[in-house]
Amino acid sequence: MGYRVGIDIGGTFTDFALLKGNDVILYKNLSTPADRSVGVMSGLQKLAEMEELPLQDFMGRCDAIVHGTTVADNTLIEMNGALTGLITTEGFRDEMEYRRGYKEDIWDLRLEPPKQITPRRRRLTVPERILFDGSVHQALDEDAVRAVCHRLKKQGVESVAISLLFSFVNPEHEKRVAQIVAEEIPGVQVSCSYQVLPRAPEYDRTSTTVVNAYVAPRVYSYLERLVSRLEEAGYGNQLMVMQASGGVMTKEYIEGSPIRVLASGPAGGVIGSAHVGVAKGYKNLLSVDMGGTSYDISMVLGGAAPAVAGWNMHHRYLVGVPMIQVETLGAGGGSICHVNNGIVEVGPASAGAEPGPICYGRGGKQPTITDALLMLGILSPDMQFAGGSFSLSMDGVTEAFQAIGDEMGYSAEDAAFDCFRVVNANMSMGVRRITAGKGVDPKEMCMLAYGGNGAAFAGIQAQELGIEKVLVPKASPTFSALGTLVADPAIDEERSYITPADKVDPERLKALWAELAERARKYFTDARFGAGDITARYQLNMRYPGQNWALNFDVKVAEGLDDMDFVDAGIGAHAIEAFNKRHMQEYGHIREHEVPEITGVRLATSVSTASPLVGHGFNAPSRAAKVSRTRRANLGDGFQEVPIIHGPDLEPGNEIAGPAIIEETFTTIVVYPGWRAVLDDAGDYEMTREVTA
Amino acid sequence: MSYELNRKLAARREPLPTSATVDPVTAAIIRGGMETICFEAATYLGRAASSAIINQSNERNGSIVDAHGRLAGAAIGTPHLTFVTGLTVRYGLDRQHDYDWGPGDVFLANDPDYGGGHLPDYNVYAPIYDDAGELIMVQCLQAHQGDTGGKDPGGFTLEATDIYTEGMAFPCLKLVHRGVMRQDVFDMVVRNNRLPEFAGDLAAMIGGVQHSVRLMTDLIRKWGSDKVKAAINYNVEHTEKRVREEVSAWPDGVYEADVYIDHDSIGKHKDIRVHVACKVAGDKLTVDLTGTDDRQELVGVWNTFGNSRGYVMTQVVAMMDPTINKNEGFFNAVEMIIPEGCIAHPPPNKPAALGSFHPACEITEAVCVALSGIVPGRAAPQVYKMGMPNAVIGFDQLGRMWLDQGVDSRTHDSSAVEGMDGWGSCPAALGNLLLSQVEDAEARFPMLNMSREMVQDSEGAGRWRGQPGSLNVKQVLAPTTAMTWMVTVDHPLRGMCGGDDASPYSNRFRVGAPDEVHIDVSANEMLPSGSVIAYQYGGGAGFEPAIMRNPEAVKEDVLDEIVSVERAREKYGVVFTGTVEDFDLAVDIAATQALREQMGGERAA
Repeated sequence: MGYRVGIDIGGTFTDFALLKGNDVILYKNLSTPADRSVGVMSGLQKLAEMEELPLQDFMGRCDAIVHGTTVADNTLIEMNGALTGLITTEGFRDEMEYRRGYKEDIWDLRLEPPKQITPRRRRLTVPERILFDGSVHQALDEDAVRAVCHRLKKQGVESVAISLLFSFVNPEHEKRVAQIVAEEIPGVQVSCSYQVLPRAPEYDRTSTTVVNAYVAPRVYSYLERLVSRLEEAGYGNQLMVMQASGGVMTKEYIEGSPIRVLASGPAGGVIGSAHVGVAKGYKNLLSVDMGGTSYDISMVLGGAAPAVAGWNMHHRYLVGVPMIQVETLGAGGGSICHVNNGIVEVGPASAGAEPGPICYGRGGKQPTITDALLMLGILSPDMQFAGGSFSLSMDGVTEAFQAIGDEMGYSAEDAAFDCFRVVNANMSMGVRRITAGKGVDPKEMCMLAYGGNGAAFAGIQAQELGIEKVLVPKASPTFSALGTLVADPAIDEERSYITPADKVDPERLKALWAELAERARKYFTDARFGAGDITARYQLNMRYPGQNWALNFDVKVAEGLDDMDFVDAGIGAHAIEAFNKRHMQEYGHIREHEVPEITGVRLATSVSTASPLVGHGFNAPSRAAKVSRTRRANLGDGFQEVPIIHGPDLEPGNEIAGPAIIEETFTTIVVYPGWRAVLDDAGDYEMTREVTA
Repeated sequence: MSYELNRKLAARREPLPTSATVDPVTAAIIRGGMETICFEAATYLGRAASSAIINQSNERNGSIVDAHGRLAGAAIGTPHLTFVTGLTVRYGLDRQHDYDWGPGDVFLANDPDYGGGHLPDYNVYAPIYDDAGELIMVQCLQAHQGDTGGKDPGGFTLEATDIYTEGMAFPCLKLVHRGVMRQDVFDMVVRNNRLPEFAGDLAAMIGGVQHSVRLMTDLIRKWGSDKVKAAINYNVEHTEKRVREEVSAWPDGVYEADVYIDHDSIGKHKDIRVHVACKVAGDKLTVDLTGTDDRQELVGVWNTFGNSRGYVMTQVVAMMDPTINKNEGFFNAVEMIIPEGCIAHPPPNKPAALGSFHPACEITEAVCVALSGIVPGRAAPQVYKMGMPNAVIGFDQLGRMWLDQGVDSRTHDSSAVEGMDGWGSCPAALGNLLLSQVEDAEARFPMLNMSREMVQDSEGAGRWRGQPGSLNVKQVLAPTTAMTWMVTVDHPLRGMCGGDDASPYSNRFRVGAPDEVHIDVSANEMLPSGSVIAYQYGGGAGFEPAIMRNPEAVKEDVLDEIVSVERAREKYGVVFTGTVEDFDLAVDIAATQALREQMGGERAA
């Protein structure tokens, strides 16, 4: 029997989910920021020990190791990516700074600009020009390219983004610039827009390429180290990496465009949420993931979390690749609490895993949300933390909050409670922002909380949002890792081809789809999947002339990649009919006398893999849970003695009335006053609000 | 169509009748629900529309007006459209029985003399009734149209002396009756528009409001109409209270400003004045435009009454806490005096197209200058002082018009505020206008975009500086009509609290040809294929004197080629060692100190 291992590397913890048959085993340990692959390997060692196997044997039995990483996201949150330069077409130096005029809050005249990844001194231009039909209007000035390289080299750039006008139609100039850059700045990382996001318009493509260049060296070095360690340890298959689109794919594929791993950890969690939520009968979910560094919010509607390509503003930078929509706030257990001009603030700076919160006893000096939870009695120095990795310590915690209290004029406990309130408000506003754009009232959804700190805040979050039901899966603390086991390997790519639909050249369509199919075939077969196992969705992007946004729809869904018979002389008429149907469905009208245009072809491919089974139902007899002890804690109504329950002792059917604190191996679940928690047949927690305001 | 009508439309309106009460949280949730639906309607329009000005530039707006004609909030998009919606709808509301309003109806309005802005700003709106048949609110979608069927393609006629020259005006026209399209009316409206994509735009606007009506009807059913009405009343009252609290924190006094337009659209009359006096007394703010130019012979510089109210409000809102909800409460809290007959409140039938640029922007700017001393942290004018944008218009082989609207300047008017340099491409309150892209435009229009970069040394200098201006250069690849009106040369965007003004605008046609022309006033001509046009917009103005700027910040600007070494010395009094080329620039502290002392002395003298 082969193992499948899901690994999610977060800012603070690395989570593991081991699937063997229908059983799932969970584990987590601290991330190792200096070299995150170290934490991965020590976790795999632990899993091997649990299976009573030597590491080599264990690794040899692994059919797949799948993982999601926040390396790219953390790079953008902390803005510590590569020193990046941009080479673009003469006359278009400043598009990155203009942002197409976009400002996040049109009413706030004090909104700060995002930090420039490529400040003007590193945004340089070269004479050249390709027109919309791919013809060369002005030849590339290669001497100018070399001069630009000289300027970038002098500034010590580590990564270069190349984005020239209309390169998605004709990439020859970009390819040549890339060659010259490689010659003139040896060892520098190069990202070309025709590879990263081969589509119009220029700001979207350029921004995506710049962000790719900024995060690429960090992602590469991490993946390289990890793969070599896995190989040394005896793993013989390809490493699969979670993508923002919700699919996984091989490291080799990811290296063509590492930006695809941005938000991949959160995407894994969302895929996991959908899987668990649907199994338990909840198709509309508000998924909240609070880990050590960030708070990620997303939605599952109708049991699915679709990926959206295009105008994705991520950490204030436009990233155009397909992404599951996840809103990330700098609010995690490690978020630092501080006073700014008389106002208590939390985050976005995080203490991370090293030095971590003060209570980790690893040299952290600044108070964090985890420290606040300790002050409030929600966490305790008596309990084992993170699966018994270590215990928390009060040393220095009270003093740190007293310093905040001194500035604000109250006690250390008051200061900790204020920090708790502030981080709660930040999270509620984040939820409202993401639900507002979807026409969904959070009240009508079920909250699914995961991440190490998700269950500590879920109840009070739900209460603020009017939500009556909260799910906390047993796998909650390692949910993103579980999600990577659920996600299927997938490649979703497109190529630009602009033509009136009635003048489409079937051979050109075939050639473009064939190019995409060949890429899919190569990467899937390299990953030891059979070409016949691939489900292929041949899609077109189309719009009416003048429209800016194209609609995407399936032209053919095929099992296997070889079926291109549907592309014949009638494809244009078929496409027009299908587009009009889609337009009517989306917008309620069609333009009978207009011929729509094709803007691109897309091929979405995937292979179905085994997923963990999810139990559900409430057939176990209901009974009260055993209270092991009480502890002085403040759950929002002031300090009082609160029942403490040992999570591993609980069984399906157990009921816990709030206020109560359940100490699980990897997380702490707070049952707030007015709430009741019940363990379902699978041992997952379902919390219901009993007293409504 | 009279001053009397305007007085009636602008008069304060009563809260909605209801015996229900609502708690603040429920009121906020209902408001959030309305905002979300409005956002969806505007998004629907943006995605389904055909013309670039809507689907690319986002010049569209969704808002909700209540059954009494009050802005109930829920606005998304373009502020100056948000604040003019109410009056347009009030005209129809007041005559709802004459016009046979009922469930399922959709109307079109754009009449400058019946509460509207200029003709291109079409307002498509639909009344929303509860199950008992009571009118609760009106969903509006507004969008700027690329043509209005007047004398000149695009709707802007430089020499127009009446509204009829500019195109078709609709006070309140029913497009859909009880859910059924009035095809004859729709076709008549479409026939009077040159743009082939207009039919798609109009259909998208109708589809957008109908989409909203369905969702909003569900919202009313869920909460009950009494609760919804109570929530609207609460939110409007709450906004009024918050605005009054902001005003209370400002020192009492009368704060005045004059801002000038270089000339009217025919260049005959110069230095056209907008005067604003902002009076703060306790929690009461009065914005008084008395003293604003009222020469009846002026051409092109007439801003509709509805627009003038909206442009005053756009700046007042921008200078307050951005979290205050945008609704009628602002109008209830702020008194406006806009004298009849002045360029901000024209007599009937004046042309209106160009007035939406000037004096509209000068009204906004004057409010900002007047209040800059007491609200320095938010003193950046929310304007686009570009005369009229370069409209480049042609006709394809089938005789169908195309328009490459010139609202594609990269940076304009992004001024500094206290503590922060100007940034981005335009003022925040225009931030929903997404600039067009070369790779979309060139696939549609016979045009080659050659440059749109920022220009070194074009920033409004200051302790906090404005964003530099940008130079747009385009070549037309087919015979093309180009039209423009130039202002902001003699009177560029004003600096605040001692900061420098923004740099002046410039505009050239047929660049590099023997007959190259630098446009001083206006142009409307057919350019031959291959002609190049170049227009430079002035960027943003500065805040406080430039010699107060941190020398290290000046160094960063020099390294980024925003400011030259020479200008750093002349404007900012900063002297360097090293060179930009070698990236070893360093501030010469002693020399800088000496130069600044000398400049300070000269300045004082």
